[in-house]
Amino acid sequence: MSGRGQVRFEDIVKMHGEFAALKGVTFEIEPGEFFALLGPSGSGKSTTLRILAGLDAPSAGRVYIDGQDITTADARDRDIAMVFQSYALYPHMTVYENIAFPLEMARMSKAEIVPAVQEAARKVAIEHLLQRKPGQLSGGQQQRCALARAIVRKARLFLLDEPLSNLDAKLRLETRTELKKLQRSLGVTAVYVTHDQEEAMTLADRMAVFMAGEIQQVGRPADVFARPNSIDVAAFIGSPPMNLIPARYKDGGIEIAGHRLETSLKESGERDVVVGIRPGAVRIAAGGIPAVVELVEDLGDTAILDLDCSGISIRARVSDGDVPREGTSLSITARAPDIHLFDATTRRRL
Amino acid sequence: MPHAAATPPAGDLGRVLAQRERRFAAALLAPAFVALLATTTFPLLFLIGTSTFRMDLAMPFADGFVGLENYRTLLADDRFWSSLLVSLIYTASTVVLQVALGLALALLVMDMKRGQGWFRVVAILPVVLSPAVVGMIWRTFMLAPEFGIVDYLAINAGLGSQNWLGDPTLAMVSVVIIHTWQWTPFAFMVLLASLASLPEDIYEAARLDRASAWQRFKRITLPLLRPAIVMVVIMRTMVALTAFAAIFTVTGGGPGTATEILNLYAYRKSFTELSIGYGSALAVALLVVTILISGVLFAMRRAK
Repeated sequence: MSGRGQVRFEDIVKMHGEFAALKGVTFEIEPGEFFALLGPSGSGKSTTLRILAGLDAPSAGRVYIDGQDITTADARDRDIAMVFQSYALYPHMTVYENIAFPLEMARMSKAEIVPAVQEAARKVAIEHLLQRKPGQLSGGQQQRCALARAIVRKARLFLLDEPLSNLDAKLRLETRTELKKLQRSLGVTAVYVTHDQEEAMTLADRMAVFMAGEIQQVGRPADVFARPNSIDVAAFIGSPPMNLIPARYKDGGIEIAGHRLETSLKESGERDVVVGIRPGAVRIAAGGIPAVVELVEDLGDTAILDLDCSGISIRARVSDGDVPREGTSLSITARAPDIHLFDATTRRRL
Repeated sequence: MPHAAATPPAGDLGRVLAQRERRFAAALLAPAFVALLATTTFPLLFLIGTSTFRMDLAMPFADGFVGLENYRTLLADDRFWSSLLVSLIYTASTVVLQVALGLALALLVMDMKRGQGWFRVVAILPVVLSPAVVGMIWRTFMLAPEFGIVDYLAINAGLGSQNWLGDPTLAMVSVVIIHTWQWTPFAFMVLLASLASLPEDIYEAARLDRASAWQRFKRITLPLLRPAIVMVVIMRTMVALTAFAAIFTVTGGGPGTATEILNLYAYRKSFTELSIGYGSALAVALLVVTILISGVLFAMRRAK
């Protein structure tokens, strides 16, 4: 199936009256890729998916699948399968009938449909539930049924709109892994919408980060995590979020709470910047910025420290072995490559 | 009770409370129950009693208990059978038309971008009119030869002036149309509400599953609307079987007995020919027919 399901968005704009839900979105998805659209609610990621599916029409711009302009094509003619956040199962049909529905619509014979449905149900492990109605299934089982309905047709594109958000935490982790395996084994192009950066990080080959109707960054999750190209992306990706501290840059270094830290940016001159340091990159070492431990959140294998550095609050992640007590005074620092610098006015990476 | 309260095991205390609550509930229900008994059950029993008497106000000297005599007469009465047939035709055609038109209207209105509210207000107007008033409106304003709107339109359409209420077939068509006109909005409102409650996303899923508009209607909309449709059919069938006022004011059952539904026949027997006993037997027959038909419909509703 590889070679199918290449997607290209060109300057897609979506207006809702005066409000621009999408302000010129451009990106490309390679065949066979697991691509995540990540962003907070209202950032335009679901709108993007709906435009790709043909459920909404863009106000401007063009959408291509496999090189073919499908901007105005009906949803029926796009050969796209989708898993809805609400699952959107047909409540009056059994699981079997739900999965068989897209095949019946494609006018396949019963002899072809029965094994295809069995096969899809087996892949998501619900073959024992085929005679049940959706109302008699648990949330996780409904989710699998929706997945089976989407994969049974072997469409060229597989869209998932926050498919895990209605599951409980444990099931979400399990399903996440299975989803990735399923996509690999099918070799199909998958587009995955989520507001959960952890899901995007773990599942996606590449991802696009949406903010306020625009794509902020496209790239491999590890790259986006390592080099966020704006303050907003930096704040959104990673848990706990990156420390963002307004500071003064001067000749290759920054000054926080009266203490100078060297950065990898070697530029002479002086300017206002926002310094980003991930909690995991904060090191406890002598001779650094003096700090007082205000609060310790013990997570078992690691702990999050809320530190007060003369009025600036910084969070640090430390491993379980050397957790300081609340109220302890210590000193912190960070290596130059771990210090991200952003322009305070344009909010872009320096 | 004080003994039980001294050492109350949990279950016993619950039972005492439940009993108290039941008594209170019974006291609250009693007035409505008595009123229903007095206004429906008692008259019904009285009617059944009356149907076993010969009670003829024109010939009171012949009155007396006759047992099932009235029912034997009824079974041999051609006019009873013909009025029953008229009732069934009237009911079947009005109910089918109401559901079909109501559903079509509801589907159209669902797709209206604006003006839905106005449409609903206008649509509900016929329902709030008294059937007698509706009958008068149609007899004079709509169907009167030469001057009525319908006849005027028929003349202009080249069909010529028709005797809408004087021709047996046309009279039947007319009373069916009148009832349908008045009550389609009810079916429309119920089905519209039911349609509006269907989730949007399953239609989107169906589009992506490549179902055409007709397939979406047949495979998704209709099955999901089924409970509402069956409910409308049941309610409208019962009303149509016992319709009276509109036909009474428009045709009075005529011409001849062309539009004489069973209800009207019972009325004519009782209050025009003054045979109260036989009229009662006809009314009981209508009751039996209504119960049988609604029994079938409710069974349909319970079936898958």
